[in-house]
Amino acid sequence: MIGQFVINGLITGILYSILAIGFALVYNTTRVFHIAAAGIYVFAAYMFWLFASRFGLPVVPASIIAIVLAGLLSLITELCVYRPLKNRNASLNVSMIASIGLMIIIVNLMVMFFGNETKVINSSIVQPLSFGNIIITFPQLLQAVIGVIALIAFVFVLQSTGWGLKLRALSADESLFETLGYDTYRTRVAVFLASGALIAIASCLTVYDVGLDPNMGMNVLINAIVAMIIGGSGRFNTCILGGISLGVLQSLTVYQFASNWQNAVTFVVLLLFLFLRPQGIAGYKQRTV
Amino acid sequence: MEYVFHIIIMLNIYIMLVLSANLTIGMANLLTMCQAAFYGIGAYIGTFFLTQFNLPFVVIAFLVMVITGTFSFLVSFASVRLKDDYFVIATMGFQLIFFTILYNWTDVTGGPHGLLDVPGIKLFGVYELSGVYEYLILSLIITAIVVWLFHNLASSPFGRVLNAIRADETMALAMGRDTAMFKSWAFFLSAAIAGLAGVVYASYNSYINPNSFKLDESIFILSALFIGGIGNTKGPILGALFVVIIPELLRFVGLPNTIAANLRQIIYGLSLVLVMYYRPQGILGKTILK
Repeated sequence: MIGQFVINGLITGILYSILAIGFALVYNTTRVFHIAAAGIYVFAAYMFWLFASRFGLPVVPASIIAIVLAGLLSLITELCVYRPLKNRNASLNVSMIASIGLMIIIVNLMVMFFGNETKVINSSIVQPLSFGNIIITFPQLLQAVIGVIALIAFVFVLQSTGWGLKLRALSADESLFETLGYDTYRTRVAVFLASGALIAIASCLTVYDVGLDPNMGMNVLINAIVAMIIGGSGRFNTCILGGISLGVLQSLTVYQFASNWQNAVTFVVLLLFLFLRPQGIAGYKQRTV
Repeated sequence: MEYVFHIIIMLNIYIMLVLSANLTIGMANLLTMCQAAFYGIGAYIGTFFLTQFNLPFVVIAFLVMVITGTFSFLVSFASVRLKDDYFVIATMGFQLIFFTILYNWTDVTGGPHGLLDVPGIKLFGVYELSGVYEYLILSLIITAIVVWLFHNLASSPFGRVLNAIRADETMALAMGRDTAMFKSWAFFLSAAIAGLAGVVYASYNSYINPNSFKLDESIFILSALFIGGIGNTKGPILGALFVVIIPELLRFVGLPNTIAANLRQIIYGLSLVLVMYYRPQGILGKTILK
């Protein structure tokens, strides 16, 4: 029984990790508290639904279109809001408030066009796979496989390519990065595209399993932020550690108590981390924290 | 006419809420995302006192303010130890834990169904207020007192220390001010006023449920504050006016209800982005968030 809960938690944790990396890509490099990510998450889900259910495309091309569109929306937020604010020397908190505004705009535009009710994409029932007494449904298997592939791809890009090196350099010290002759703005374009795409991957994988509604974004994003903080801030790979720990923890909460206390336990753990170990499980100790 | 009075009462409640948020955000530069939690604590505790005891309103208001203020120490404790984004996320955590408790502790809070039949406010323990007119007068008086309080606070010694903390906390500390203590009292007062707004809302509406006190409400209060402006009294009042009047204007234009609800949210979001770009202190505000 407990094995089942751990497996469920692992799979949720993989999705949290992807979303947390999508958030951390923007947060670590630009220092903007990117709340609009919740809006992008919802946008990607609705685009996926639009192309898969309304226009009847197969799931794979529909999700690819959704990922591309979400990347573009993410880029639009950078070009239309964050970059102009940065050019005006606006403080990070001001950017964050603008980001909240963006989130409100995107989510409500989705409601306006597609309505408020919950929608489903995959209504077919496939016989679940069972290993001993552990049962994995087909969407869960899809989440696990594609999620792990996405995570491995990200870690590879981060560790072994020039772009990953630039990314780490930008998140370590922006002014040094500029002094050495690299173009911050060009790197930021890539960062926002990648962030939007990762958020969309997490979104599509989730909504393929559980369906979508316009108010889901903020809750999922906050969980991802908690995952990022628990794992360790200032780095990217630690998001995976945090995401999987959080997923398993939440799943065990359901096993031990009930699912309606999940949020409370998550935030008690967050507060414990913030007070006792603010750098997270594997983060660097930062002086500003 | 009663409809107009209803809007004015809601406006008064929002003026109190936005002003209370301004005390911590605008004057002490501590970005909190849990004003709706204090609003909710005030509403639920106020309901408890109104149902259980037959006390004059002044006593109930005082008790609710003190108890709600005491809860604020949880947040001010965090503000001493956490900076910037970590503090924001901690207050969000506080807000979400509060909502979860409200939603799931069914025996006490009524869970998702909320509490029905909240009794009216008894002015001197005997005369129970009812009807829009009497609440209109009561809310106008309370709001006038709150506005007067915050207006004078800015130039009081307390307000000037908060201003110094906002400008440069290290310097205020070096000048021998116990900044942690001043911040705690700012939170206390801010939570107390939000709690007061909660009691008025609960007894006026005679029904409360957790959905009025969730994170979206905190974000809503925050939007009102930042659109109107931070750091003085007229900014928050304008912000409250803006968010309360816009839905009525949309209704006046004759949009169908389903579109109007989202359109007004989009207007808030858009105003927030535009205000942050063109005038980061807000339309009538004085200080810029650091």
